[in-house]
Amino acid sequence: MKIEEMSFEESIKKLEEIVRELEDENISLEDSMKKFELGIKLSSNCLKKLNEAENRIEELTRSEDGKLIARELNLEKEN
Amino acid sequence: MEDYSISKTKVYTVSELNQDIKRNVEAGYPDIWVEGEVSNFYFHDKKHMYFDLKDENSKIKVVMFQNINRNLIFDIEEGLHILINGYISLYEKRGEYQLVAMDARPVGKGALILAFEQLKKKLGEKGYFDVIHKKSIPLLPGRIGLVTSTGGAVIRDIILVLKERFENFHLIVRDVNVQGVTSSDEICEAIDELCEYGVDVIIIARGGGSLEDLWAFNTEKIARKIFECPVPIISAIGHETDYTISDFVADRRAATPSVAAEIVILNKRETVEKIETMVKRARSLISSEVKIRKKEILLLMRRRIFARPETLLDRFNQVVGELNIRLERDIGANLKTVENNLINICRLIDKKNIIDKIYSFKTVIKNSDIRLISTVNNYINLKKSKIKYIMGKIADRNPVNILERGFALLYGVEKDRSIKSVREVNVDQAVRILLRDGVLSARIFDKIYKKIEPGFKNEN
Repeated sequence: MKIEEMSFEESIKKLEEIVRELEDENISLEDSMKKFELGIKLSSNCLKKLNEAENRIEELTRSEDGKLIARELNLEKEN
Repeated sequence: MEDYSISKTKVYTVSELNQDIKRNVEAGYPDIWVEGEVSNFYFHDKKHMYFDLKDENSKIKVVMFQNINRNLIFDIEEGLHILINGYISLYEKRGEYQLVAMDARPVGKGALILAFEQLKKKLGEKGYFDVIHKKSIPLLPGRIGLVTSTGGAVIRDIILVLKERFENFHLIVRDVNVQGVTSSDEICEAIDELCEYGVDVIIIARGGGSLEDLWAFNTEKIARKIFECPVPIISAIGHETDYTISDFVADRRAATPSVAAEIVILNKRETVEKIETMVKRARSLISSEVKIRKKEILLLMRRRIFARPETLLDRFNQVVGELNIRLERDIGANLKTVENNLINICRLIDKKNIIDKIYSFKTVIKNSDIRLISTVNNYINLKKSKIKYIMGKIADRNPVNILERGFALLYGVEKDRSIKSVREVNVDQAVRILLRDGVLSARIFDKIYKKIEPGFKNEN
């Protein structure tokens, strides 16, 4: 599975797993280099995903023709 | 005799009696509250409820018609201790009376509490609260759905906490009435619409209130909607101590709406720090690993085999040397022997000697040859002369030769054999004489016997 396709949750879980594996003394140097590389990729994927989310607060309503529309929420006018 | 005529007494017909009783009784109990225990509860066709209300000594028939019983918040069950409000009604035709219920309340607790307990038990038995059905809340939701009243304080609290934890989030709010008769329906509709639009998680939130205020979140309708919703739902109703059916069915319960905001999204700053810490840890593990390996390699490199690899050959050189020596010794000895033998043989087979010997043999053979030839020749000559002699002898014997030499052969007349002795003839016998050139016939005149010696010494 490509790293970009992994969800944030899967990425961070795999990253934790890698750190645990690196702590294992029995790992070969070659394996640990590979895992480290993978870890770096995962961490940047995680950070990317954290910044991906849009910053929006909307209200959902159904229009007369039955469509669902999300419009920016204005709280002040409710009061 | 007594007059037992009953002309003065009123004699009722049954109908009249029942009518009368009906009038009196119904007038006497037009609106009463009766307390008792439910038994013989009959509601099989879900239309009208029929049961007995009883105490230790007595019971009365009760009916609750559909138009009343469908508004009940709680369920009337067998054994329930209950208060019934209603009127007595007499059924003339059968002369039976019953209490027609217009309202019912549980005894000892509120109707709402009882309803809540009954629904909780029912849904619990159906497995609505089982942990196995609860979905996990995504760690980083793309879209967050919120079902609440946009007019309340709850929505502000939630937004505040969300902003604190994460600077960039996508929140979609669906406004509802969080109490009142339409509330349950509105909430169900809101959940449907958010699912249809597409969100990764839904929060249902409202602030504190009484059991009645919160009642919309205790209905079976809401429970079913939450249970069947494919999107994970966080239920945040009322204060910490308020528990509603929706709290039990939801995938997660939040004690307060602010807690819901904490649950729904992770703290960005903390998470970023956590990731950076993990990367640092990984880096340091790698670098210490590299340092250890480097040390090992350096140590290995110092060892004789790497520093002076030719020493590896020492052992081999030694072995080769030994083998060489042995080779020279053993084979050398053999060769020496062979060499000596060879020399000896060569000595024996001295070339010149051989050639001389060959020549001398050749000479011997030649001589022998010659001798052989002369011997053979001699032999041949000897034999030749012998043959000659014999041939001479034979020639002598040849009668023709004898005849040529002048001798004569004597034959008898009758016989064809030659006469060789005087005894073979008689006097006067006719004989034939063979000479070289013819034959003579003769007669014997005289015979004298006298042996002649060989050679020509004896002449007559």
